[in-house]
Amino acid sequence: MGDIKPVYLEEKLREVEESGRLDYRSKTLPTWCPGCGYFSIVEAVAASLCELNIPNENAVMVSGIGCSSRFPFFVNTYGFHTLHGRALPVATGVKTANDALTVVAVGGDGDGFAIGGGHVPHAARRNVDITYLLFDNGIYGLTKGQTSPTSAIGFRTPTSPYDNPDRPLNPLMMLLSYGASWVGQAYAGRPDHLHKMITQAMSHRGFSYLHILSPCVTFDKTHRTYSNLGVQVRDLPADHDPSDRLAALREAMHDETPALGLYFREERPTLGDALDGLVEKAGGEVAAKATAKPARKARR
Amino acid sequence: MATDIQISIVGSAGDGTIAAGEILRSALAGMGYKVISFDVYPPEIRGFGKCIARMRITTEQAYSLKNKSDVLISLDDSHAIPHAGEVRECGAVIYERGSIVQLPEGGHISAHIGPGQLPYPVPIRELSEKSTGANRSRNIVVLGFLAGLLSLPAEAFRKAIGRKFKSKAAAAEASEAAFKAGLDLAAQTFKLDDVMFGPPVSTVVAGATVEMINGNAAVVRGALDAGIDTFFGYPITPATSIMERLASEMPKRGARLLQTEDEISAISATIGAGFAGARAATSTSGPGLALMAEMLGLGVIAEVPSVVFVSQRGGPSTGMPTKTEQSDLHMAVYGGHGDAPRIVIAPTNVDGCYRCGGKAFEMAEAYQTPVIVLLDLYLSNRYETVVFPSRPPFEADCNRKPGKLQAGEQYKRFALTGDLISPRAIPGEKGGMHVITGLEHNELGRPNDQAQMHEAMSRKRHEKLKAALRHPDFTHYKRFGDEGQVDVGLISWGSTFGECLEAMYKARGEGIRCAAMKVVMLSPFPTHGVAAFMNDCKQVLVPELNYQGQFANLLQAHVAKPVTRLNRVPGEPMKVEDILEEIRRLAGRGKTAQKAA
Repeated sequence: MGDIKPVYLEEKLREVEESGRLDYRSKTLPTWCPGCGYFSIVEAVAASLCELNIPNENAVMVSGIGCSSRFPFFVNTYGFHTLHGRALPVATGVKTANDALTVVAVGGDGDGFAIGGGHVPHAARRNVDITYLLFDNGIYGLTKGQTSPTSAIGFRTPTSPYDNPDRPLNPLMMLLSYGASWVGQAYAGRPDHLHKMITQAMSHRGFSYLHILSPCVTFDKTHRTYSNLGVQVRDLPADHDPSDRLAALREAMHDETPALGLYFREERPTLGDALDGLVEKAGGEVAAKATAKPARKARR
Repeated sequence: MATDIQISIVGSAGDGTIAAGEILRSALAGMGYKVISFDVYPPEIRGFGKCIARMRITTEQAYSLKNKSDVLISLDDSHAIPHAGEVRECGAVIYERGSIVQLPEGGHISAHIGPGQLPYPVPIRELSEKSTGANRSRNIVVLGFLAGLLSLPAEAFRKAIGRKFKSKAAAAEASEAAFKAGLDLAAQTFKLDDVMFGPPVSTVVAGATVEMINGNAAVVRGALDAGIDTFFGYPITPATSIMERLASEMPKRGARLLQTEDEISAISATIGAGFAGARAATSTSGPGLALMAEMLGLGVIAEVPSVVFVSQRGGPSTGMPTKTEQSDLHMAVYGGHGDAPRIVIAPTNVDGCYRCGGKAFEMAEAYQTPVIVLLDLYLSNRYETVVFPSRPPFEADCNRKPGKLQAGEQYKRFALTGDLISPRAIPGEKGGMHVITGLEHNELGRPNDQAQMHEAMSRKRHEKLKAALRHPDFTHYKRFGDEGQVDVGLISWGSTFGECLEAMYKARGEGIRCAAMKVVMLSPFPTHGVAAFMNDCKQVLVPELNYQGQFANLLQAHVAKPVTRLNRVPGEPMKVEDILEEIRRLAGRGKTAQKAA
């Protein structure tokens, strides 16, 4: 620990300002609790948008309902804060209407795997060309701390005062089985790695799923805390082959020591490609994709 | 000579009843007659459920089917026997001659043919087997026999058979042989002089085209002509054929259709696509609309254009999937939580399905809200000959766009303008970045639940829709029949209006001063025009196919004058005679008075 260099606030501020990533932050201040892991996610997303040089007007953030789903308000892009559980189908609609947009769906563990669980397999199997950032804090924060589908057995909350009886889901294994073409895991407590993973996920052509572990500092003092997660997380083995789905599933099984990194990646046609293929089969004309502006053609 | 003939074919599922009906009406429409047709079938694909193909063929415009048929064809006596009484006096019943030894269960229809009706026993099965080597073409044999009996040109039938089996050479060949067998037999039998076809009358203007299509196909044609970009849907009777037809037509025009995992996903993606600037739609029936309620509320508060085609069936719950009903009006207009005003339009005939199918996209864009187009099974599956204009009567772009957005300026997506409709920037547009949300919000779209803001935004969402009552080139409501003061005025909506018109014209024929108004725009409600009509009526009658009187309830919420309700839930169209009887009663002409006259 002796070789940590001091960081001066003034220098850091200048670095952030010059990076250009503040252009991707809105003037609305996040509504999250001090210390929430989500601050590092919004920062990482802004940095990735900046790094990939995506024009603000070409990015669309689509979210459901929950603490994490407030996300679109905090970035300076187009955004749609939808209904509980419906970020993925709405994002599918946005992308289907305009392929040139960079569409990012964000939401929490309850949003994605409880109320919205029915949509995940279909967005994955269709390979909709969007990025799904799943903020997993293992709790319902916005309604003040009830169990979620990723809460541990035995977790005590106001709706499970004598212990949570349900075993948690394993989202990584689910997504790998559903046919997601990019699956990775990051941790809000490792912002640099998180940023790299988000950039990779957004660069992937197809459905990219990034599972982001993050503590709820307000309602979970016992389970998914910074101190616990800091010990539990590990890196994926250096020799892990991201084209090997079975190896990825094996790694994903060890959810008591979550491994960070890219689990799986494959190149395959996206939903947009498939729909363009149908147009060609039917003898129609595929719309030009040069511009992000929706080209309304008279289709008569 | 004016033609007005009704033919019914009754059979068991799997007999080819509906297919025979398709060929028959296609042949008759091809000859230039006006056709209105409605089939009844069970929810099972096979099994032994009853199928009825029924059509009315006219030279003048007809508005509904008649109570009595001129010809009944039985492909299954057990199902046809209850319909023997529907054949008019001097009408014909065509049925399987069959074997005296092997009586069908429930008896032979010949025992149920009334004194004035003409029996035509035909060895249907035998002719099918002799001509094709199988009994599968019984439905075509009877068409051949019918064509011969009524002296209809065989060529029109041959063309219709060709259209029906254009990709199935073997079936086309067998049908041709079966048709000829029936036709040849008719040449040896006595003609049916009491059912006569006059020459068809053409009223089509140059450039226009005439097609015989059903309500669902007309909605699709409207959507295509309005330039639909994306469609997301989930199969459900009786709306499925909207999605199926779009699935084959949209890719030809470079447009995209996706079958989603459920109706919630369908409406979510539709609203997502609407946000991204597409002309987006979905289709469903009552159960699906119930699932969509929450997302439609988001469409209302986030002010995103979307179009939902709803074909109603019998409810509640799974109800009667293959039976017609008009019982989803409350849900369409009021469904969902919170004050969530939306536009609801309901065509009354197949031509109206085309117009509403296209106009819905104009309205969704112009007023930035979900638009529900409310059909029902009867209208979805009802065939009519429709005249299509040479140019689609729809605007390609009704968006209100923001001018050039200044750098650094914060774009107000929900600006409180004079008419409360805000200019809408679409993702991809420079400088227009904003977030829309289901939370109450300020003009910028930022969450805000202050009292004043909720008051102002609630007002915006409701009052902006008033402009839809003046939407150009759209029939919001229309009056028919006698002008000025009348004894009885009918007000109705959707498919039932056809029966109302028939009843109203019949009542006028009996000397009753009578008028009828159709209301196409159900939300926002055209109170002014409807109230003016009601002021002209001594008595107001509201016939509709639901138990509660859902349209009457809606009407009474806007106009205080009391109305008489006529509610039926038989799962099939309302009987013209029932409406007429009620008109007579309200006009003070009892049954006895009628008989004396």
